[in-house]
Amino acid sequence: MPFVKSNAPANTGPARRDMGADVAHLQSGDLETRWNAARALGGCAEAVPALAAALAAEHAPQVREALATALLRVGNEASVAALIPHIRSPDAALRAIAIEALQALPDATRPFMQRLLADDDMDVRILALELLRGMPAAEATRLACGVLEREQHPNVCAAAIDVLAETGTPVAVPVLRACASRFAGTPFIPFAVSAAIARISAES
Amino acid sequence: MSGSEAPRASAVTVRQEDVRRLCDFLYRRTGMLFAEDKRYYIDRRLEERIAATGAESFQAYFALLRSDADHEIQYLVNAFTVNETYFYREEHQLRCMTSDLLDDIVQRKPVGETIRIWSVPCATGEEPYSICMWLMENFSRVDSYNIEIVGSDIDTRALKAAAEGVYGKRALMRLPQGLVDRYFEKDGPDKYRIDAGLRNSVTFTAVNLVDSQGMAQHRDFDIVFCRNVLIYFDDASRRLAAENLYDCIQPGGYICLGHSETMSRISPLFNVCRYPDAIVYRKPVREHD
Amino acid sequence: MTDAATRHSAPRILVVDDSSLVRLYYRDALEPAGFEVDQAINGIEALEKVLAKPFDLIIVDINMPRMDGFSFLRVLRAQASDASSIPVVVISTEAGPQDIEDARAAGANYYLVKPVSETALRDHAAVLAGRAA
Repeated sequence: MPFVKSNAPANTGPARRDMGADVAHLQSGDLETRWNAARALGGCAEAVPALAAALAAEHAPQVREALATALLRVGNEASVAALIPHIRSPDAALRAIAIEALQALPDATRPFMQRLLADDDMDVRILALELLRGMPAAEATRLACGVLEREQHPNVCAAAIDVLAETGTPVAVPVLRACASRFAGTPFIPFAVSAAIARISAES
Repeated sequence: MSGSEAPRASAVTVRQEDVRRLCDFLYRRTGMLFAEDKRYYIDRRLEERIAATGAESFQAYFALLRSDADHEIQYLVNAFTVNETYFYREEHQLRCMTSDLLDDIVQRKPVGETIRIWSVPCATGEEPYSICMWLMENFSRVDSYNIEIVGSDIDTRALKAAAEGVYGKRALMRLPQGLVDRYFEKDGPDKYRIDAGLRNSVTFTAVNLVDSQGMAQHRDFDIVFCRNVLIYFDDASRRLAAENLYDCIQPGGYICLGHSETMSRISPLFNVCRYPDAIVYRKPVREHD
Repeated sequence: MTDAATRHSAPRILVVDDSSLVRLYYRDALEPAGFEVDQAINGIEALEKVLAKPFDLIIVDINMPRMDGFSFLRVLRAQASDASSIPVVVISTEAGPQDIEDARAAGANYYLVKPVSETALRDHAAVLAGRAA
């Protein structure tokens, strides 16, 4: 038979790594070196500033991904603070990476939510609403309704309504109806409100 | 009891809109689409899970599902899909391997070099042994290369059973009799043992997909079969496992997921490749800086 | 473009947006007009669907997790198959000239700003994806 057994290397125990060296390697001109360094620094709280700086400067998609994972594995407020600026990035790919990582950290992002939901930038408010999906229904409902009550921009309202369609409790229904009234005659919002209320309401 | 349905164990009401909400969530989370015409099937499975978890309302059950408490997503999805393991399961991926993937791999590999294929998780071994048999039967250049087949799992009892290579008739149900005769010997009532040559052809190792160190000892694979596990991991674990797998694969190497799984819910690291028999994912040949 | 002789019965549109309500809205606008509508929540799923079967039009949002609309568009246009020339409407929350230019550079055919009316959707679909019912 043509099959050969694998020469599985003996388990040599955890590789000893030098955090300082890995941090330096985040700046390497070689993609694979940066990738390995980002992976090695996963979950390393002291490396958060270096990981944050590297993410801001990195262009290779794979390394960006590894840097975001490394930060998410730390999972504390500092790492969330490091990811948040990138949801403002003009680079759509970087925004996607940042929001994806933040979605995995509902507890650590909680202290930032009020500010993000009230941000001047419409896209930041929209992306922040996505983060509510990871939160318990009552909390997500309260925050999404808070946005709906004061929000002027239809696209932000649309994002809040979508979140409520998934997680909204009955307390959201009056707020949703009021929103539909405010945007009566415009495309999408009345449709979305109707669909969301159907999902939430106690009557079929 | 009469011919009517058994009385329902729970009195929990589930509205059609609740089912829509559930289906939207499942689609977003797993990529699996449950169409309106499959509604009855979903209703029954949902009812079973609500009863099994003791949820007192659909809302309570849905909260459980959203938080994936106690792996509820896996329980619910397993209720919808057939999860038996048997030889030559998802044969279309094996066909893709010999019809397309290996052609590409051997172009970059001189004759006599080693082709490495990994089945992880391998459970009780049906998958890695299937790969061996399939290659023997269908890979025209099977004798021109050394082929290393590794089967790995987190469950050491399953690995032990895999190394033993004894199966019941049901596991062989997709195999033509000729293959059963060629690769198995009867080992007792409803016991078929994989022939020694094949048993000795597979290396079994214990590994945890999120353990970077353990994973790093598995390197340079040309093809990885990683079926029906990644989609059930939480967000952080899915990313880490995908990155670990990426490191284990050769540039230009391939990874195949489960039938209902998609990288769109797992990781952007791999390129999507469409072949007649399967959609597979590929590590870029060369990462561009 | 798909050859008339090989065309399936109804023109097929792929709607790509991470909001389930937006996808529902597009489907409700387009299906009664005679289009077959399929969906994806991000660029990776969109690629999988595009590679699996022929589409006459793709409507894609920009801001999606895991693979955004621009990245999807670039990969789509780089494909060796017929998929690379499918007409694409980009729908975005932005409306500035740079955004429109970015979309064009990535390979978009049209650019619409959210929220899009049902009429605008149907009109664009009719023009780009062939006959409506």
